Order: sequence, then structure tokens, then C-alpha cells
Amino acid sequence: MGDFYFGSDLFSEFDRLQRQVSSLLGGFPSSIRSGTFGAFPAVNIGSTDDSVEIVAFAPGMNAAELDISIDKGLLTISGERKPAQTEQEELRSYAQERFAGTFRRVIELPETADPNKVQARYSNGCLTISVGKREASKPRAITIQ
Amino acid sequence: MNNQTQLAERDQDTLARRESEQASRRMTIAPAVDVFEDSQCVTLWADLPGVSKDKLEVKVHDSNLYIEAEAVIPTPQGFRLQHAEVREPRFARTFALSADFDTSKIDANLQDGVLKLTIPRREEARPRRIEVNAG
Repeated sequence: MGDFYFGSDLFSEFDRLQRQVSSLLGGFPSSIRSGTFGAFPAVNIGSTDDSVEIVAFAPGMNAAELDISIDKGLLTISGERKPAQTEQEELRSYAQERFAGTFRRVIELPETADPNKVQARYSNGCLTISVGKREASKPRAITIQ
Repeated sequence: MNNQTQLAERDQDTLARRESEQASRRMTIAPAVDVFEDSQCVTLWADLPGVSKDKLEVKVHDSNLYIEAEAVIPTPQGFRLQHAEVREPRFARTFALSADFDTSKIDANLQDGVLKLTIPRREEARPRRIEVNAG
């Protein structure tokens, strides 16, 4: 019965469970604009000293069909994803898990983001958006007198 | 009436676990799929964002179809992740294939992070109309 509890991996299993639960309940208050959990496209956000980096996981799109805009500190990604196959006679569907339809995701940019310095790139189904930070907000070394 | 039979249900972020050779368990994401069948073949579409051709492995073993992939997203230097909805860059999903599929003729095509697999049915397994003789 030694392996009754997932072998030696019990603690990593608990860890995983805890992460999943906290991601559902939200350890931090999430933005009022964040929408429902699991919205399309999924978005990861991070930053560097010089920029805010956003990755939207939107496979199967044309770069031309993606609409990106910035208005008053809100970055909006919108577009429409076509269904893989249109309805046909004698076509049976066993699974339709992939998102199809119009979508819109809004991301609140920090105050320090500069809407004039935006670069967007679509490759392998990922939309990468890089928003530069204002000069004044970049980290500086402070000299001690 | 709609013609959808047996819609497979999938949790929004089903987490599957893959046993790797080193016995270390790695977390993977089960990619969302669409599966359609017509008289000739089954077509499977899988969302694999961030996966390039060299990081994708599709194999058939013991009449199971394995899809394994790893997403690679270039990040600039000094990058710090602050909000993540996709936490694992690995995808894995397995399907059982019945004997009426011709696994030697599977066609795979990856474009813009979407994998399209065409799995033809064997010639003898395709539907035929059977004439009824009036006697």
C-alpha cells in the first residue's frame, strides 16, 4: 500500500491542487474588466524594464483579421475566429471544443505604458504585443550622496 | 435537428499528466480539439498556440494516436511574468483509434498554431449502399 497516495509525488499533487484552486478563486482581486475565466484568447502578461509584454494565444487566425487598438490606457484585442468546418450534410461532429466566433479582450495597461510605442507580431498562433514604457518610468539608479 | 453525435465534453483547462521516460511527471495541457467525420475520413483540429513544426510530435502506437507538443514563445531579456492564463508550455492528448482507420495514411498539417490531422478510413470500411433485391 506504499503507493496508495500517488507515490512520493503527494506534495507536488497538493501543490498543483492549491494552484488550481487559487487560480479559480483568485488570490488577488481581479480587474472588473477581466471577464470570465477561460475567455478566448488566453492572455499572459509580463514586463521588462523597458516594456509591457502581452502574449495572446489565438491560433488559427490571419494576422490581418486581428484588430488591436489602444484607447485611454486600454488595450483591446478583437477579431473573429471562423469554425474549422462549415456545416455539411453527412458530416458528423464528435467534438467541438475549439472557440469559434467573435471575441474581444481588454487589457488594462499600467500608467507607465506609452501608447505610441506598440509593436505587435503574430507567429505560430501567438500574438505578441510589446508596449514601451515612458522614459520617466524606467528604473534608474539613485546615487547616494 | 442537429447532426452532432456524442459531443465530447472537455473542461476549460483540463490538465492531463504525461509519464515521461525519466519518471518525472510533467504537467501538460490537453489542447482543445474539433473532430469531424465524413464518409472518407476523420478530421481532427487541435489548438496548439506557440508550437512550431519541430516541437510537435504526432505518433501512432498500439492503435493510440499521441499528440505531444511544446510551445516556445520568445521573451525579451529581463522578462517577468505577472499574469498567466496559460501556465504550462506543454500540450499532450491521446486518442484511441479503432481498427477501421488506415493509420499509415494519416496526414498532418500545422499552420498558425492549429494542427489538422486527416485520418482516412480503410477502403473496406467506407460506407456502401447495399442493394435490396425484390424477390
